[in-house]
Amino acid sequence: MHPDPTTLKASSVIAIEAGNLTKIYRDGIRAVNDVSFSVKQGEIFGLLGPNGAGKTTTMKMIVTLAKATSGTLNVFGINVFKSPETVREMLGYVPQSISVDTDLTAYENLLIFAKLSYVDKKERNERIKNALEYMDLTGRANDLVKRYSGGMMRRLEIAQALVNLPKILLLDEPSIGLDPSSKKQVWKRIKQLNQDFGITILITTHDMGEADELCDRIAIMSEGKIAILGSPTDLKKDVGGDIVTVNFVSSCPTISFPKEIGKIIHNNEKSIQILTTNGEEAIPLIADFFRSHEIRVESISINKANLDDVFMKYAKRRLEDGLYKDIRKTRRDFVRYSR
Amino acid sequence: MNFLRFIMSSITVAEMEARKIRHDSTELWTRIIQPALWLLVFGETFNTIRAMPSGSFSYIQFITPGILAQSVLFISIFYGITVVWEKDVGIITKLLSTPSPRSSIVLGKSLAASLRGVFQAIVIFALSLLIGVKIRLDPFDIVGVFAVVILFAMCFSSLSMLLASYMKTRDRMMGIGQALTMPLFFASNAIYPISVMPTWLKYISIANPLSYVVDAIRSMLLVGTYKNLPIDILALTVSTTLFLVLASRTIKKLLE
Repeated sequence: MHPDPTTLKASSVIAIEAGNLTKIYRDGIRAVNDVSFSVKQGEIFGLLGPNGAGKTTTMKMIVTLAKATSGTLNVFGINVFKSPETVREMLGYVPQSISVDTDLTAYENLLIFAKLSYVDKKERNERIKNALEYMDLTGRANDLVKRYSGGMMRRLEIAQALVNLPKILLLDEPSIGLDPSSKKQVWKRIKQLNQDFGITILITTHDMGEADELCDRIAIMSEGKIAILGSPTDLKKDVGGDIVTVNFVSSCPTISFPKEIGKIIHNNEKSIQILTTNGEEAIPLIADFFRSHEIRVESISINKANLDDVFMKYAKRRLEDGLYKDIRKTRRDFVRYSR
Repeated sequence: MNFLRFIMSSITVAEMEARKIRHDSTELWTRIIQPALWLLVFGETFNTIRAMPSGSFSYIQFITPGILAQSVLFISIFYGITVVWEKDVGIITKLLSTPSPRSSIVLGKSLAASLRGVFQAIVIFALSLLIGVKIRLDPFDIVGVFAVVILFAMCFSSLSMLLASYMKTRDRMMGIGQALTMPLFFASNAIYPISVMPTWLKYISIANPLSYVVDAIRSMLLVGTYKNLPIDILALTVSTTLFLVLASRTIKKLLE
């Protein structure tokens, strides 16, 4: 088994603490409804949910772009509502839609942002250089951003959020609208930032794969509330684990199956289904088991429990609903700004 | 020091605009066409037919300060559209998420508008010298004119940002801009003296900030007496400060 990442990174310092946070918009919509959670220093925390679940609003309240209707919100113990500017100094924020200025060069975008974040003049150029290098943009630093690809724009945005060496990086749907290879690259950088510099990262996402890949802990949000909170592994365990299906060449004699590997939940003459906590690790054990009993196996397939099942269980709806609108919008952004 | 940081942030926001203009200044040049037409066509024509009682000055002399003020007015009153556009593409979100105080961002944006205003002023100066309009070229007066242009652009761009906080879309801002510019322009002393206006319009022109601006520029560029200048500047400073403070408070609504 993999060690639980949360225990590895466990830190007693609380980076973000939200208590009974509520945001009611003027039209009476409760975007965020009595939400409480805390993000520990050094972890990657994900807010997972479909459109309109309240993820972005929650993030905006932390970045002080939206005002909470009620509740408490602290960043490293500092009251977000009372000292917004002090809090913003500790944050790097990458909004969902493209927010770099496409009429400026990458270098200029970083320069302006560094100045507005009051980065010391002596350190400024060094930091910009490092951020560009880190995000693999050095070669194109003096090109206008409108000539960039979507993945490059996203990397530039993260670079921009890095120049003030934030304690917490907030990423709103970091890989939305990106093609699979750009997505992988962005993920790699996010993980690196967390590992190399210990930056606490809060992401919002509707992409289960992304949440699973990146996050140490996830809060699944639905209709303004947190439906469940935990590590991806625990959450998936919670819905029952992976199902391994074994098909036999000829009918299988009755056997007693070891409990350590899994539980048989269904069987007929030519196949059985075994519930396991981790499918990949169970497959060789299962294969060995049947081989030692001289039962010929035709095929083994695995049906992994995913966060969608978790979401289904707690939010009573599928995660994918209403997702394409967002993806299309951001794709349009990329097309519109890159010329 | 906080005040120093505040000013630094504002200058940085204006610097952002300057850098954009350096990359692509097409808009600035196309913006010149309209005031140039006013001067060259309207001004020259009415100068020839002598239809306006422009006092001891030729008509083209009379309207040069008016056209200068008008073109700065157009730029600054439509500046809200730029800000709404920047909101739509996420730039405002980004600016407001920096540690810089919001009021410094608003001040910076208004300085950015006056940067464009100053450019207009320079070109109109050049144009009027080119066509031989006699204006006073006293250095102090010219500095004074630029100071008024900057203040004026700040005033109306912050009004525009204040309106944008509530209007939120480019279309609405376009409509508001159209609805404001023409009445402001025609109910002012920009292209004809207040004395020829019907009585009701005279009252309106007294409440019209553009009249004070034109008056200030005219007194420096043509007349050379500064009797009304303190009142002009005071009226302008008060309204600029007011709009800046209000816009700083409302700019966050733009994101809602």
